[in-house]
Amino acid sequence: MTRLKCPFCGPRELREFAFHKTLPAGPGTAFERTYERVDRPERSVEHWQHIEGCRGWLKVERNPSSGAVLTTRLLGGSSVDGAP
Amino acid sequence: MSGEMRRGTRVRAGAIRFTFDGREYLGQPGDTAASALLAHGVRQFGRSVKYRRLRGVLSAGPEEPNALLTVGRRPAVIPNVPAPQLKLRDGLILRSQNRWPTLSRDLASLLQAGGGFLGAGFYYKTFIWPNWRTYEPVIRRLAGLGEAPSACELPPPDVEHLSCDVLIAGAGAAGLAAARAAARTGARVVLCEREPVCGGELEFEGASIDGRPALEWAAATLTELEQRGVRVLSDTAMVGGFGGQIVLHAEPGGLPGANTLYRVRPRAFVIATGAVERPIAFVDNDRPGVMLLGAAERYLARYGVHAGRELVLFANHDRAYAAAARLAAGGMRVRAIVDVRSEAPGAADRAGTLRAELERGGIECLTGHAVTAAEGGARIRAVRVAPLVGAGRERRIDCDALLVSGGWSPSVQAGLQEGGTREYCAAIGAFLATGQPSWRAFAGAANGHLELGAVLADGHAAGEQAARHAGRSVPAGSGAAGRGDEPPRLAPFCRSPASLRLEKRQFVDLQNDVSVADLRLALAEGFTDIEHVKRYTTLGIGTEQGATSAVLGAAVLAELKGEPPAAVGVIRPRMPFQPVTLRSLAGLRAGAAYRVARRTPLHEWHAANGGLLEPSGLWMRPRHYRASGNDASAAAFAEARRVRETGGIVDGSTLGKIEIAGPDAPAFLDAMYLTKASTIRIGRSKYMVNLREDGIVLDDGLVMRLAADRFLATLSSGHGDHMLSHFEYYLDTEWSERRVTLTDVTEAWAVIAVAGPRSRATLESVLGADWRSALSSLGHMDFTAGQYQGRELRVLRASFSGELAFELHCRPAIAVPLWQALVAAGLLPYGLDALDILRVEKGYLVSAELNGETTPQDLNMEGLVNLGNPCLGRELLDRPGFHEPARPRLVGVRACDGRGKFRAGAQLTAPDAPTRPVGYVTSAVFSPSLGEWIGLALVARQLGESAQLTACDPLRGAQTPVRIVPPVHFDPSGARMKS
Repeated sequence: MTRLKCPFCGPRELREFAFHKTLPAGPGTAFERTYERVDRPERSVEHWQHIEGCRGWLKVERNPSSGAVLTTRLLGGSSVDGAP
Repeated sequence: MSGEMRRGTRVRAGAIRFTFDGREYLGQPGDTAASALLAHGVRQFGRSVKYRRLRGVLSAGPEEPNALLTVGRRPAVIPNVPAPQLKLRDGLILRSQNRWPTLSRDLASLLQAGGGFLGAGFYYKTFIWPNWRTYEPVIRRLAGLGEAPSACELPPPDVEHLSCDVLIAGAGAAGLAAARAAARTGARVVLCEREPVCGGELEFEGASIDGRPALEWAAATLTELEQRGVRVLSDTAMVGGFGGQIVLHAEPGGLPGANTLYRVRPRAFVIATGAVERPIAFVDNDRPGVMLLGAAERYLARYGVHAGRELVLFANHDRAYAAAARLAAGGMRVRAIVDVRSEAPGAADRAGTLRAELERGGIECLTGHAVTAAEGGARIRAVRVAPLVGAGRERRIDCDALLVSGGWSPSVQAGLQEGGTREYCAAIGAFLATGQPSWRAFAGAANGHLELGAVLADGHAAGEQAARHAGRSVPAGSGAAGRGDEPPRLAPFCRSPASLRLEKRQFVDLQNDVSVADLRLALAEGFTDIEHVKRYTTLGIGTEQGATSAVLGAAVLAELKGEPPAAVGVIRPRMPFQPVTLRSLAGLRAGAAYRVARRTPLHEWHAANGGLLEPSGLWMRPRHYRASGNDASAAAFAEARRVRETGGIVDGSTLGKIEIAGPDAPAFLDAMYLTKASTIRIGRSKYMVNLREDGIVLDDGLVMRLAADRFLATLSSGHGDHMLSHFEYYLDTEWSERRVTLTDVTEAWAVIAVAGPRSRATLESVLGADWRSALSSLGHMDFTAGQYQGRELRVLRASFSGELAFELHCRPAIAVPLWQALVAAGLLPYGLDALDILRVEKGYLVSAELNGETTPQDLNMEGLVNLGNPCLGRELLDRPGFHEPARPRLVGVRACDGRGKFRAGAQLTAPDAPTRPVGYVTSAVFSPSLGEWIGLALVARQLGESAQLTACDPLRGAQTPVRIVPPVHFDPSGARMKS
């Protein structure tokens, strides 16, 4: 099972996290931000929450084709950084 | 045989009693079901899935396609346990499968009496008239592998999570060499082995490694591994894995019982799972008594069991001769060796010398011949042998066991998951797995090496490479050198020639009754890709997942297509790689431990006082109380009526509650809710609605202002966690620079709602004089705080029932005393069903109406929208699509005749379009206050106020004429609750 590195809790199994959304490529109208779905097979930027742990919100960059996790960062402007 | 004790590497002296198909047998400690029954001369172990042909044991491992047994007594049986893996225990009850009424006399085998051919896809081509459903019940009873249990008595497994540098699956020659190489670098190594003892094929070959007997080397290696801290798990099979985690399953009995599930996260993974022998297809190659050559050797060496008395061997490689010599030395008589290769091994090879010796001993060694058919009835009695080229008659050779070997197929299942490709290797006539990620590699026979020297070197190299990948430095040094059986010099051969008519009895997949004729039929019908052929013919499905049938099927298909096997490919097997019960895979997350059960502080009181507790999401809540009525609807009716007439109390502790605090809390809530929270006075509450980003209503609830910078928001019972995440998300994104804190206080406060005409008076008498003036002056939607029995209590005057009502928010410690005091003062409890009746009468909303598709305008909240608060979701709320005439609108419905019944979910249709719904009923109850069925519904906006519709319930065949009414059925002015 893939693991995500939570900046507070360390590497944890994927089942501890809840996926929220994939971010669109760039800023746009409210409609585009809510509904735009662009397939980017190499790099997907996503928001996940560590609900079975610290409940922190994470920004995760993943390669959806290979499943590899590129970077993990806390949302919320904190300086705690979780490089993989 | 039955009288004397057998001797072998796995059996000991002793007696174990077990039954098979109702008859008692004796086995020895260490026996498997297969070995013990074979020792007793049992040759029939079950019948096949489709044609119900008698079958015997083919193999000595989990790849067994035929001899699958059902263990135990109904209803908690365990089906499809491979007999060669099932270790005997005293008192074991075993049954054969796919037969009725008995194994020897099966009714359904009459299917084959007429020579019937139930070819691939026969379901779609037959059983058509008059209707498939006519035949379905019979076919469903006959179909399937084994019998599904209707109860499970299996204990939960132990679950262990391991992390290591190198995981090695398989402790044969390659696995042991790899483990030794990796351990010598200082890496943390875990070695697992499916069998109870390590060593793999070394048991049989009589080989030598580093100058001493191979088994001695194996034992010394194991000692070294233990000294170096390697964790050796025997009786533990590698069954699958995802995403960098490999799952091992330890089942010491071969039979579900005490077992352990390991979830291993290695940095590098060496797969040394060996190779599985494969059969050859010829007519009636499924007859009991036909066994794999290696399997017969195993039964002899491990359990002292003879596969037969008069053997015939059929193979396409040199190893057959060494095997024949070992079997003959073991006391069986080998009558003939049928070698398909046109050239016999010459006198220069060891195999040639052996062959000459065997011939001198009276064994007929045929070259360039093949077994074309296995004759006999319930067991094999003779084989027919014919030359492959040139003239020559077919002959018959009597025998009571036929041992077949068409070569070995590397066990590459683990390399074909999550990427990995299959590559044909002509030297062994089978497929290897290539294209592996850097952390995963094959070694030994699993990597296509069949000679001991190459296997040891390959294992050593793989172990070193894995240690390197895990970050260890590898010291100089070579691995062990060994010499075993000679190279097999295999000539790929998949099936003996046969007429078209007989191809339906040349079995390619024994477990699923797939024959050469099925493959030919699939090709003729246009299924050319092997994965399509698999799904159409069922080749390679089932418990063995192609272990004995995949490569054979690929070879036969290649022959039929006239293409090389490399172009045809082979099917991809699925996990688990050997049979595992779902109970074991579930680990600890099963039964009562599957989900958290949340209980309110009043749970015990409900249980002790007749409350019918049922799960509502994760919470246990009372639907009604037994004292209220005979059945659910009568009880709910009585409780609801009682609330309106006198009063009642309900446990609302499951309500989600979040405290929002901080200087920016008012502004934050203004953004999160449709209407402003910053305008709420301290000491007051307001009904508020949340929107999603896209304008849809997410949840509703009350927001109480505790202080200038402190609020308490209540949310629907089921939504507490979801809404907390919702608020936390915005706090961490757009609001991350602001000073707001969120605290989930759902379990910090118990909630008791006191409702009805007598509620205020009863509350005053229970809470005492301190509270009297506060309660009497409490306005609608106001709240006040104080103490009860020394603990905090807040009383909020709000109503979900439409009656004069108070929500008591108290600390859990006083919940029960407070509740009991209210009961003693004359207010009886009501449950969820009555709560639902009361709120439908008042048109209040729950998740049925807040269904994730409705906007505030749909729910008659235009007034709140028009206040213009710029909140989350506001922008997309103005979309034209939300204002179309077909948008739903919340309305009430009642039967036209004042008596008709309708249910939630009923579709509403207009008279002019009886098959196109214009809406549906979201909630429906029988109202005690109005004496008829009432409901709430979402109907197209364009329908007029008093439209006449029909509520249709197609599942129950009911139709009720209804009319649209305002959604508040009872006391529209709200006078009762504002009194």
